[in-house]
Amino acid sequence: MTAAADSVHNETAKLLAEVCGLGFAYVRGVEVVCDLDLKLYAGKVHCLLGDSGCGKSTLLRLIAGLERPTKGTIQIDGETVSCADRSVRHCKPERRAVGFVFQDYALFPHLSVLRNVMFGMRGKPKTERRAAAAELLDRVGLADYASKMPHTLSGGQQQRVALARALGRNPKLMLLDEPFTGLDTTLREEIRGVTLRVLRESGVATLMVTHDPAEALLVADYVSVMRQGRLILDGLPEDVCTLEPRDKGPAVVRLKPAVDKASK
Amino acid sequence: MLKTPAPIPETNDPLADGAASQRRLRFFRVGLPSPWTLLCLVISVVVALPVLVVLYSLTQDSQGDWAHLAETRLPGYLKNTAIIAVSVCAICAVVGTTTAWLVTTCDFPGRRLLAWALILPLAVPAYLAAYAYTDLLQFAGPVQAWLRDTYGWGRGDYWFPDLRTRAGAIVILSATLYPYVYLAARTAFVEQSANAMEAARTLGRGPWHAFLTVALPLARPSIAAGTALVLMETLADFGAVDYCAVDTLATGVYHTWRSLENPTAAAQLASMLLGIVVLAIAIETIARRRARHHQLSTRLQRVKRQRLGLFGSLAAFAVCALPILAGFALPAGVFLHMAITTGDDRAWEVAVDHGRNSLMLASIACIAAMILAVLVAYAHRLSRGPVTALAARLAGTGYALPGTVLGLGLLIPLTWMDFKIYELTEALSDKWGIDLFAYVYGKEPETYLILSGTVFAVLLGYQTRFLGVALAMIQSAFGRVKPSLDDAARTLGASRAWVVLRVHVPMLSVSIFAAGLLVFVDVVKELPATLMLRPFNFETLAVRTYQMASDERLETASFSALLIIAIGLIPVIVLTFLLSDRRRDKPDH
Repeated sequence: MTAAADSVHNETAKLLAEVCGLGFAYVRGVEVVCDLDLKLYAGKVHCLLGDSGCGKSTLLRLIAGLERPTKGTIQIDGETVSCADRSVRHCKPERRAVGFVFQDYALFPHLSVLRNVMFGMRGKPKTERRAAAAELLDRVGLADYASKMPHTLSGGQQQRVALARALGRNPKLMLLDEPFTGLDTTLREEIRGVTLRVLRESGVATLMVTHDPAEALLVADYVSVMRQGRLILDGLPEDVCTLEPRDKGPAVVRLKPAVDKASK
Repeated sequence: MLKTPAPIPETNDPLADGAASQRRLRFFRVGLPSPWTLLCLVISVVVALPVLVVLYSLTQDSQGDWAHLAETRLPGYLKNTAIIAVSVCAICAVVGTTTAWLVTTCDFPGRRLLAWALILPLAVPAYLAAYAYTDLLQFAGPVQAWLRDTYGWGRGDYWFPDLRTRAGAIVILSATLYPYVYLAARTAFVEQSANAMEAARTLGRGPWHAFLTVALPLARPSIAAGTALVLMETLADFGAVDYCAVDTLATGVYHTWRSLENPTAAAQLASMLLGIVVLAIAIETIARRRARHHQLSTRLQRVKRQRLGLFGSLAAFAVCALPILAGFALPAGVFLHMAITTGDDRAWEVAVDHGRNSLMLASIACIAAMILAVLVAYAHRLSRGPVTALAARLAGTGYALPGTVLGLGLLIPLTWMDFKIYELTEALSDKWGIDLFAYVYGKEPETYLILSGTVFAVLLGYQTRFLGVALAMIQSAFGRVKPSLDDAARTLGASRAWVVLRVHVPMLSVSIFAAGLLVFVDVVKELPATLMLRPFNFETLAVRTYQMASDERLETASFSALLIIAIGLIPVIVLTFLLSDRRRDKPDH
């Protein structure tokens, strides 16, 4: 991670997750994620920007524990949860304090909205879980929809249910995989506002994947740009478009109009 | 301002170390698969045991019986099998496609009812149809008796078709098996875009020409897949051809085993049948793969049905009603008539008694198949590796196994194991004076058989034969659940087993139930494997009907036959109801 990031975050926020030298290949020899370093801080939103197929989603799956890295380590809250070294125990996804909002929301179609949110809460009495889920739904503005089935909700509502469900486990880290792509423009801004406000309030470290530069520059506390499995740029949103990419590839030209749009 | 990531110190490099140890451990990963993969592998090997045994028999010596068979009976077996298979497939393809086309694209009175009723022959196993037809059309039967009475003919004055011939077997098998083609073709025609047909019409093709050049080629892979199923069922049929006194490979296996008492020669004959069946599966798989390419967009315009005139309506009605009459109404009517006229209370009691046996076997087999199929399908979903793919394929092969081959393939290893167990207990009692059998069974054991000739053997046989049915349905249902749902559940704190119980099973409950139902009905109808594997004096509905029909005392078994048909009707009715409302299975909203 860069000195810039450290200087921005260190005084104010707690380091929650650290990714070191991470590499991953589905097929041996073809690395989808390559020598990647990342730090995530409590209450901050880190945007990961990149074209489709550059390995963004794979990175999220690695952090969530759904895949095992072939190189490097991932630490969450000081504890090593993933390590390429097989002698280090791999922390299963169900044991990590990580929330994941999927691009297609992945709501369980056979459970009501309330039961979807309750799914992740275990080990507490049912009445408590019910109350906690209802409160979360209230926070995302869906208190009236508790008994509805997911398929009766609109896209934006489904997205907020997915968020509430992911928050139900009290995660330290929230992973958002292009959470706003399916929504139309006006709705998008509103939902984005709600989501990020709730996340910042909860003190959760957020890693958000997007392919929309304007969105990244608008909402992020810190931006990283990914290309072919590597981070080629990172910095504060206001700086990132002036920097040279590290991989000596074409400059990230497309960022320029996005910045103009964002600054308006 | 921007700095490259801080280099990790060369000494004590944790990453290099990790890579090295991973290389070391890769070998172990092959050696020690995950518990799910292991479980899947064990299930499929046990279930596929008969297939492996039959294939193994090829390396054994049959002491000259094979040569004897090849000289005497084999050419006849092959000829009969080939003629019956080709004819039945051809008739089923034509009948199934024609009726499917009529009910999907034409409108005539009674269309909806006929569209549903065309599946009904699935409830009638071919052997029951054979018994019913023979009873109806034999010399002493009601039809010939009526002809003689009406026209005053005597024996030999007239020609009447004899059903206990190869042609009779072909007619009977076609009448009961065509619904496989009908179902496949109807689905294909319904899913076809009406646009393609309409485009053909605007390009100057008449309706008939458009059907031949557009609709039929589009549906051809599905029709081929349905016909392949017919081929498999025809090759596997034992009861109907046996009753028609036609020797095919399937009956040959049974008779070689019974009369020559040479399981090796029988197994070698069986492997020949297995080879043909594998060919049928290959055709089916390839056809299905092509069918996938032919599927157009998901949002399709419904085919607009063409209203038929009076003559057309009558013709269409007759064409659709005839197969139902032949495959369902006549056989069921014959048994119903028999049951009413015999009016024997004892017969009903006996049937209920055997029904209880059938019910017990079918319930256990169906629950076991549902659980095993979910386990195998989930293990396959989890790893997606070649091992589980192979295991899932292996677990499904038994479906293609004709019942006689299956019975033999299971009897050989089970008898061998029983023999080994007996040897072991003998050795034990010789050395240490421990008589294990006396210990378990009491002083005088009735039998020294533990595995073969027990209900366990029958149940194992059913899993071999029908796990594939359940597996195919449940696997395709699993395929409709988005992978992100599994991931979501995992990140929400659910373990793998918990994901199955809380997400997959409730989501797929309809499909799992439907799969169990199919297994249940198939078990009730199954004849040859039960006949070969059952314990002494243990009778099911199917076995009882077979025995009574062989003894020319069909009336006594009419209640059993009716019960089989009635049970067979359950899935036809329930499945049409359930599968028409697949909302709950749909992962997308």
